[in-house]
Amino acid sequence: MASDDDPTILVFACNWCSYAGADLAGVSRLEMPPHCRVVRVMCSARVRPEFVIAALSRGLDGVVVLGCHPGDCHYSEGNYYTRRRALLLKELLEHVGIEPERFQLRWISASEGAKFAQTITEITGEIKALDGRREPPPEG
Amino acid sequence: MEQELREIVRKLLEEGAIEYFIGYAEGFEPLHTTPCFIERGEQVQALVWSPLCPYNLARYLHQMKNGAGKVGLVVKGCDARAIVELVKGNQIQRERVVVVGIPCQGQVDLAKLEDAFEGVEAVEGKGDTFLVTVGEKVHSVEKERLLREKCFSCRHPISFEYDFVLGEMSPLVYGSESEFAMVEELERLPVEERRAFWRAQFERCIRCYACRDICYACYCQECIFESKAPRWLEKTTTPLDNQTYHLIRAWHMVGRCIDCGECERVCPVGIPLRRLYKKVEKEVEQLFDYRAGMRVEDLPPLVTFAAEEPALSSRQDRSER
Repeated sequence: MASDDDPTILVFACNWCSYAGADLAGVSRLEMPPHCRVVRVMCSARVRPEFVIAALSRGLDGVVVLGCHPGDCHYSEGNYYTRRRALLLKELLEHVGIEPERFQLRWISASEGAKFAQTITEITGEIKALDGRREPPPEG
Repeated sequence: MEQELREIVRKLLEEGAIEYFIGYAEGFEPLHTTPCFIERGEQVQALVWSPLCPYNLARYLHQMKNGAGKVGLVVKGCDARAIVELVKGNQIQRERVVVVGIPCQGQVDLAKLEDAFEGVEAVEGKGDTFLVTVGEKVHSVEKERLLREKCFSCRHPISFEYDFVLGEMSPLVYGSESEFAMVEELERLPVEERRAFWRAQFERCIRCYACRDICYACYCQECIFESKAPRWLEKTTTPLDNQTYHLIRAWHMVGRCIDCGECERVCPVGIPLRRLYKKVEKEVEQLFDYRAGMRVEDLPPLVTFAAEEPALSSRQDRSER
């Protein structure tokens, strides 16, 4: 099901919920596009918006931030900060012409392996459907 | 007004209440003033004031961080917002700054002025007009023709205690357009046209960092763009590196930009930076009901949250599921 022109997506997954969710998707042998790169972070709020900007500017096709559902943050409130930042960042990216599909925030708990697989499949599809590929990353 | 200002400064300096005073002085030709630092009472004659004083002098307060004494400066109402933000960000202590508020009649856009007149010697604000002196003649021009763009959305802090004021401090009211009109105009374009627009802007950027260096809000001791480990940004000026630069900078303006417009004014290649930062300002206002520089007590939007955020939920279906 995967092909070489599948978009490459950088996934930031929080250690406590979403990374476990991704792990569950793996051990459950759920099928999903293989072109995603998962980076484990201790909290979705660890993801500095600069990470997202740098990744997109350097040619990644999309960035997904995954965190615990609101109210379930291991650190009580990290994902609330993430929520504010993400919305603002999305607006900024859209303003300069980066499609909203390329940066997404989703909530995935440790038990939602299926949701992880589905999210990755869905977002890969959305990004694939966008007209025109992004410019290649700068040399060097 | 100039005379009054000079007297206040002379007194402050002679009493030893401040170490130096930051104000405007005549520049290299009539249309350019320049920031100046007055250290002795007899130098106060250098201080000037006119609609040609664009600089946000609060920028120079970064340097007093490590000292102990007091510093005085003159601010327009809009620049007072920078002081509010610097106090909020613990960059200065309010009691160490002597703030002289000067009622601003609006600032003149030099490009507009030079388009309309040649050989201008002086400009003065009077009511709804600017009096433009060219040789023997004094032309009276409607303000709206010469004002800097940012003056159409003039905004002062909601509460601010000046140490001295040289008249009534009240914001200008000109123009009927929404202050975000230029942002909304871009928002109406399809995403690929917006991309092309900004690409063409960023392509010109020579990364002189003037927009950062002039910014009152850029006070980090080590700027992210200069960090070597991690290195966020290459030194090359490819369109993508430039985009990274401008996006990160725009991100850092969240809840800080007071639209002093200095970045756009100093840009040597004419990048319309206000259209970028105004977008951030607009979203912060609409999503979090927050505006930078209005009150010292206000919490910046990204250091706080609410469990239920009604303003966000209307857009949530687009951003989270």
